[in-house]
Amino acid sequence: MTIKLPDGQEIAVDKEGFMVNPAIWNEEIARHLAKLEGVEELTEEHWAVIKYIRDHYLKNDLAPMIRSICKTTRLPLKKIYTLFPAGPAKGACKWAGLPKPDGCV
Amino acid sequence: MNQKQVDIKAALVKFRELLDGKMRVYMNACVHCGLCADSCHYALANPDDPSMLPAFKINQITSVFRRYHTILGRLLPAWTGSQALDRDYADKLVDAVFGKCTMCGRCGLNCSVGLNTGQLIRVTRSALVEAGLVPRSLQATVDNAINTGNNMAISEKEFVETIEWLQEDLQLELSDDSIRFPINKKNANILYTLNPREPKFFPLSISAMGKIFQTAGENWTLSSNNYDVTNYALFSGNDNEARKISGRLINEAKRLGAGQLVLAECGHGFRATRWELANWAGEKSGIKIISVLELMANYIKDGRLKLDASKNPERVTLHDPCNLVRGGGIIEEQRYILKNAVKDFVEMTPNREQNFCCGGGGGMLSMGEYSERRQKAGKIKADQIRTTGAKVVATPCHNCIDQLNELNTHYQLGVKIKTVSEILAEAIIFGN
Repeated sequence: MTIKLPDGQEIAVDKEGFMVNPAIWNEEIARHLAKLEGVEELTEEHWAVIKYIRDHYLKNDLAPMIRSICKTTRLPLKKIYTLFPAGPAKGACKWAGLPKPDGCV
Repeated sequence: MNQKQVDIKAALVKFRELLDGKMRVYMNACVHCGLCADSCHYALANPDDPSMLPAFKINQITSVFRRYHTILGRLLPAWTGSQALDRDYADKLVDAVFGKCTMCGRCGLNCSVGLNTGQLIRVTRSALVEAGLVPRSLQATVDNAINTGNNMAISEKEFVETIEWLQEDLQLELSDDSIRFPINKKNANILYTLNPREPKFFPLSISAMGKIFQTAGENWTLSSNNYDVTNYALFSGNDNEARKISGRLINEAKRLGAGQLVLAECGHGFRATRWELANWAGEKSGIKIISVLELMANYIKDGRLKLDASKNPERVTLHDPCNLVRGGGIIEEQRYILKNAVKDFVEMTPNREQNFCCGGGGGMLSMGEYSERRQKAGKIKADQIRTTGAKVVATPCHNCIDQLNELNTHYQLGVKIKTVSEILAEAIIFGN
């Protein structure tokens, strides 16, 4: 499957919308993935979460724990769920260009 | 597919090994009455696709049985409709038994001849796992559990930090410094377990249980490295791995000297450790294993929790996880808890052991390649929920929660999905 970005570029995603090639992620892609889920504007708080998840993934090849996300961004837990309606895994991690996490998600 | 070389012969050897008397009867039992069509969420959501019928999938399996285990099937394949297992046909079987069935057991319950269809599907998965044909995403979840002790590869340090963070938060929230989330405590009454997605992404249910244990005055503990209640090998069909994963919880409970092992809100995890482990291990575990729903219901019965149902004023309905209810026998406890903890409880129809699968069971949630089918099959559940007019859907299973969350968005249901413990914790009158 592919999705088309506003600039006409096409990127490959799996059937759940996670990027097939996380390496080519950029902020434009994040904005577009968010729009597909009905979030029109990414705020500073969104970016703080997305960038931390992205950095953690590049260093550790894994999504961070929700605790580290809250500690690093200084956002309360419930705020994360409001910012990302599909949750930390299918929302935040997806927009940060990570592959789908394993487990019950 | 995983990296293992595909070995079709190995599948046939395993298939033969699993053909005990019961399975041979099942292989010959289907009378093609078609009653299963109305009981399967896949068949109901795809009325124009005959390959979604349970009887069709069963025939895909039994045709291989006929080819290798009956004389006529061997000699007259066209006459008997028997089927040799080659790579092409194995791929079709993978698509049928992993991609079109959640092993929810509802068709088996409603089968006119009592055929245990879920078991037939699992035996076929067991054969395909030997051939190296398990979908990669499903096997990755099993591999995580085997290699790291939990299915999301959480390190022990990260886990302990998370639990300490939750303890601190709950102390602040309830203004009570005495609240503890004990880890690796010896000789506690209860060893409690978790679904790794709780510490990783959704910890509110851990806080809820902390509040419930604290209020009930329970002597409980978590383990820092053997806490994972899930067992995806139940879904992959690999009995050796399944035994290892569930067996670890038993060993840990014994090592810590816990009085009983309490399984968190997890449908398949309950079924795997409470019921199937004894079959995989060939012996009883020798320890008391209960669901946290039984525990919470008993706290209420024994007056150990003071509740105010008006704290949950919205209408609540209940989704019954297949492996906990139809396949696990935990049926009334969750209802008893909710009736005590919420103002307005309504059943969805049908319910209890006749409830429909949410569509995310059987490992389906982890296998992204089938996500469109999963959402489509979930329409039956979405319609059930909408009809109740409920604002909250309670379900004692984290796997169901994730699927219901997706259905909530996809079918625009406008509901909140919660665990039973989260709802119960909300109703608790804390302090004097």
